[in-house]
Amino acid sequence: MTKQEQISRRDPARVMRLKRLGSLHQCRLSFMRTLSRRMAGEGWKFSRPVFDIDEKGVGHAVYSAHGPERTYSLVAFAHDLPAELRSDRVIAEAWDCTFSLYDGVPDTADIDRLRQNVPLQEAGRISKTELSLSRANRSVRLWAHVVDALTAGEQPDPEQIDQVGYLMRTTAVYGSGKFGAADRQMIEDREELLAPFQAEMLSVYLTRTFVRDLVQHMANAKGGAQTATLDAAIARRLGIGNSTGLGMAPFILNHPILFSNWIMAREEAIARVRSVAKASDEEVARFRELFARSELLVERWRSAHPTQIEKLADLRRDLEALRAHLETADLQENNPWNRLIEWSEDALSEEGQEFIASLILEPYPALVDGLTQCMADKNKDAFRIDGAMPVEEARNLISQCFGWAKGLSWGEHENCARAWYVSEEKLEPRMGERFEEPIADYEQPLAPARDAAAALEALDGWDGTVPVASFLLKHPEHRHTVRRAQMSRVAPYGEIQDNTISSEIMPIDMLRAKLSFFGATHFDPRSDRWVRICMYAGAPYPEELSSESAELWVYPELPE
Amino acid sequence: MSYSLNEVEGTSKKATRGAGYSWGLAEEAAKATRFLCRNSCDGVAALATVLRETDGKNLTDLTPQSTDDDWRGAPVLCPLIAGASVADHAFLLPTKPLILNDVICPELLLPFVALAASQLEQNVALTCGEIHCVTDGKSLSLNGDLPDRASMVSIQLESAPCSNTNPTADRAHPAPETWAALLTLAHRTYAPATAESREKGAGAGLTDND
Repeated sequence: MTKQEQISRRDPARVMRLKRLGSLHQCRLSFMRTLSRRMAGEGWKFSRPVFDIDEKGVGHAVYSAHGPERTYSLVAFAHDLPAELRSDRVIAEAWDCTFSLYDGVPDTADIDRLRQNVPLQEAGRISKTELSLSRANRSVRLWAHVVDALTAGEQPDPEQIDQVGYLMRTTAVYGSGKFGAADRQMIEDREELLAPFQAEMLSVYLTRTFVRDLVQHMANAKGGAQTATLDAAIARRLGIGNSTGLGMAPFILNHPILFSNWIMAREEAIARVRSVAKASDEEVARFRELFARSELLVERWRSAHPTQIEKLADLRRDLEALRAHLETADLQENNPWNRLIEWSEDALSEEGQEFIASLILEPYPALVDGLTQCMADKNKDAFRIDGAMPVEEARNLISQCFGWAKGLSWGEHENCARAWYVSEEKLEPRMGERFEEPIADYEQPLAPARDAAAALEALDGWDGTVPVASFLLKHPEHRHTVRRAQMSRVAPYGEIQDNTISSEIMPIDMLRAKLSFFGATHFDPRSDRWVRICMYAGAPYPEELSSESAELWVYPELPE
Repeated sequence: MSYSLNEVEGTSKKATRGAGYSWGLAEEAAKATRFLCRNSCDGVAALATVLRETDGKNLTDLTPQSTDDDWRGAPVLCPLIAGASVADHAFLLPTKPLILNDVICPELLLPFVALAASQLEQNVALTCGEIHCVTDGKSLSLNGDLPDRASMVSIQLESAPCSNTNPTADRAHPAPETWAALLTLAHRTYAPATAESREKGAGAGLTDND
């Protein structure tokens, strides 16, 4: 018998570097998988009470998901969008489809009200009975291909499906009180919405079903009786795209406790599995099977962005090395998963290391899945500054959080080349060049390391025994930093340990970190600040959802 | 029109920052406004009043000049700055009441008094003339409306329970003009668009028609 060794969570100094955060992969804790697991486990029922869409593709539909206690309904509006108006950017003003997730089953008056508002997106208003607001545009080439193939009585080409991955691409999926929607506070005590972003994930799940039905409807309208029905296996390969810009980066900086809870849950899961002394035959077989299936997943991952092409090459090299290693590695005895992680730390790039860290969690639902309950931010008190804390302790906390930045000279242009701001034009979060554009006066507080350095300088010379309340009375400009430092006591993974305003910053690293927790795959950056992803590819549609299909859909099935 | 409390918080934060406060204080002002709205007070009107009065003033003058005895500004106190300091100095309350002189819109002290109550895990009261308010950190109990300006406010531990509290509200219904006042101040935090910034927006210049 091997003695049970308790491996601790990885050091935030290692985990919270942007390069690593920008290499995270989905895992059992991902929000999409949390939702599908729950819906299958609780036997949710689904219905489509309305599908009123004409042959041009204009109209509306309602998709309802009935859980044990409540029903949620996606209200979808389909439009006839001229090609020149098709843009994924937040500043767009029209979309192919627009959506809202309704809390319950909407009546005609609700739908009329939503019809006046939802298609306008940011320019409309929703109410406390709505939990989300979103929109989607077609992938023009794949949409045309699928409609044409079905109309001709044929199935679409799987190669073309894999090239794009989705028929429609969402952009912002707004929740949490945005544009008048219900506050998170109003729904956070509901068991099914406790884990983060469950309402948004449900809205996207139902959107995918609607899009499948819509493409069939359009093909039927065009092709008549000879039209083929989309093959279920091909339909399953289709996900929903998402195009995400800079707005997500401020989110993880502005929610340090929430973000820390996500990272900590995953780190705890990794530590638990690393601590497994001996793996069973079934556990090893499950791991080996999913490794093979995830090779297919990576094979289908395409990107045209130079950085991602390089990272994908790294990942593919890593998978080759891993495959060779697994041929001889003993995965059963002597803390096998810990040995595998330790091996990966020397042998693989961050992409491969994080890939394997996510994959070892798969055979262990009992150790991992319960941690989804710890991923919400329920610590309302953490916002409150403890003014009684002695200056010395506050100074130490700030130093601990930002010790990594000690050597950085904030006077050097390259270390503060960028500034985050919100544009007047469309209230769009942007990142600009501090020394080239007139934006410094409008800077958002998204450079915690620089602000920490300023706070430490201001604290210099203060008597360490004085309550920090006295310091803050003289220096209200450092309240933000002192609050964050005090939060770090409950949020060890709350601070990104890299410079968020350096000339080298790649905001897509922050986007990927967040999107990986959603469960996204196929990260495809379009620039250093904009990324496309795929959601729910491989997932069972409502009528296919079962406890067998709800869990591992993210990994493509191996060919027979 | 009704607004979500998140919208209230977001707009209040930007408005407070737009009026010249630090980001840290803006965050607290935003939570404070939300707290008032949550407890069926017109937090938006209160914040609009404060920001109108303090806009363009030197905020250092509106800060307690000393916390040893009575707290005074030069000559008045801003409830956001003084309130944040009241919450920071909650540890003093078990030994003495805090006396604040000449405070603008004392209603906005209440959310900070609530922070002190939750820190101390004990009810705390704010007294201003005949008006007596008690909070347990979450709820508010008031026996009347606080004035727009108070010559003296006393904050002390309260042994009585926090009863007959205001109902909680999950939406805010500010008057259009007070909401507009916050939006005007919030607008100051937005960088004017330039051709350059447009080009540097996420995804600019790339086609989505694929």
